[in-house]
Amino acid sequence: MVTEISKLLEPFAPREEGNAVWVREPLEEAPRIWQELRELGYDYLAAISGVDWPNRGVIELVYHLWSLQEKSFVHLKVEVPRDQPRLPSACHIWGGSAAVNEREVHEMFGVEFQDNPDLSPLFLEDWEGPPPFRKDFDWRAYVREKYYCEDREEDRGYYKG
Amino acid sequence: MAITRAETYVIPFGPAHPGSGNFRVWLTVDGERVIEARADPGFLHRGFEKLMEYRTLLQASVLTDRIAVFEPLNWNLVFALAAEKLQGIEVPERAKYIRVLLAELTRIQSHLLWFGAAGIAMGFDTVFKVALTYREEILRVFEEATGGRVYPTGYIRPGGVRWDLPEGFLERAEGVLRHIEYHLSDLNDLFFENPSFVARTKGLAVLSPEEGIRLGASGPALRASGVPYDVRADDPYLVYDRLEFQVITRREGDALARFLVGRDEVLESVKIGIQAIRDMPEGEHAVKVGPFAKVKEGEAYVHIEAARGDAGCYIVGTGGRTPYRVKFRGPSFTLLIPVLEHLLQGVEIADVPVVYWSLNHCPADMDR
Repeated sequence: MVTEISKLLEPFAPREEGNAVWVREPLEEAPRIWQELRELGYDYLAAISGVDWPNRGVIELVYHLWSLQEKSFVHLKVEVPRDQPRLPSACHIWGGSAAVNEREVHEMFGVEFQDNPDLSPLFLEDWEGPPPFRKDFDWRAYVREKYYCEDREEDRGYYKG
Repeated sequence: MAITRAETYVIPFGPAHPGSGNFRVWLTVDGERVIEARADPGFLHRGFEKLMEYRTLLQASVLTDRIAVFEPLNWNLVFALAAEKLQGIEVPERAKYIRVLLAELTRIQSHLLWFGAAGIAMGFDTVFKVALTYREEILRVFEEATGGRVYPTGYIRPGGVRWDLPEGFLERAEGVLRHIEYHLSDLNDLFFENPSFVARTKGLAVLSPEEGIRLGASGPALRASGVPYDVRADDPYLVYDRLEFQVITRREGDALARFLVGRDEVLESVKIGIQAIRDMPEGEHAVKVGPFAKVKEGEAYVHIEAARGDAGCYIVGTGGRTPYRVKFRGPSFTLLIPVLEHLLQGVEIADVPVVYWSLNHCPADMDR
């Protein structure tokens, strides 16, 4: 790990693993750290992964940041509360790649990104249910209700267990 | 851009356009010129990431086939690598070489299909037939190794590969590689150096390196803009650090450069494939991974160079029988949404399919 990066991430107890660093940052610090990492060469936002943790009451977002110069990853985690999932957008730092990844996380996990100009639906059409990648979305119940009928002989298998 | 004049109107490109695949982009046009493009994905959204939360690692491995029609084995590979990293499985040497050989064959057939499909979209029908004739040879080799021509049903799986290669396979695979290496130049006259092709692609839809990085482009589309980002070289996995190959880049950043990078990459892949065949060690093809193996607590992120760019897999386990969360980074996700929307601004309607196909995308791995 390059010294400036270790200095930047040290307070948050990073875990090093080969050419990757895993670190969890507090929500308030996120925009500052994003900006500094971008200036240190982490210019390629590979993806943003959402992970729902209902037992801890948070949605965890993992920013997979790749440095084309250093050829290394920083996997930056930030947690937002499940009942009010909101955080600043990273569009102004990583551009279109951040915008579209945030749009996907918004659709699948219901996370609000402040200042992201476009959080319109991406993959789902006419979707009115809860964000489908959250753990408490019961897709089996949804499919039963939406597409099958318990009284129909051929559908009965879907209602067992 | 707001629609202010009566002459601007909105037309769809796809999802039923012969050159579009399962994808639509809304074009706001002023006469013949596109002034704004808006991608409309989702026609192939199957929710694999969610489905895998309900499946064991080996079951999920079979599902990964379907992430991209063009290159199922590469998606098998990225999932297998992520699962192995999480589980702490060390794969036998022979399996690594088999994986490299199949990954490169996959890249070649994917690129050939790319050229063929681009040919169809641009009116070069012969290119489609020629490219698919050579792709067919690879599909036959795949059938021999995996049992499936296109879909290998999880041949590259956590722990190694499903079964060892059949007898005489390496000689036949080398024959196919040499044959394609020799005949790739057939496509030069028909396609890459054909004056009408060059006239349509040269200087069209230039992607600057800075924009490419900001918009998350990868693969041939980014390398054609002069950014030498290739996961095989920058973050080597399997045995790529022991193999010799060149990262192909060009500076122009236009549609022509993207196709030419693709063409030259096929030859590099042939080189890698032949080295993998030459160095292939004897030994086991896999370590046992039980069908009900518990997914360890922890997380792993792995990325590989798929034919169309940086393909990633993030996997989280909590000690259950199934992964807690699986996330895929499809290279086409950023190629087809921000990059395409950016590149289509200002082109003629007739050039839309050309720009679209020059990106080497696959709608399936965008939607997942």
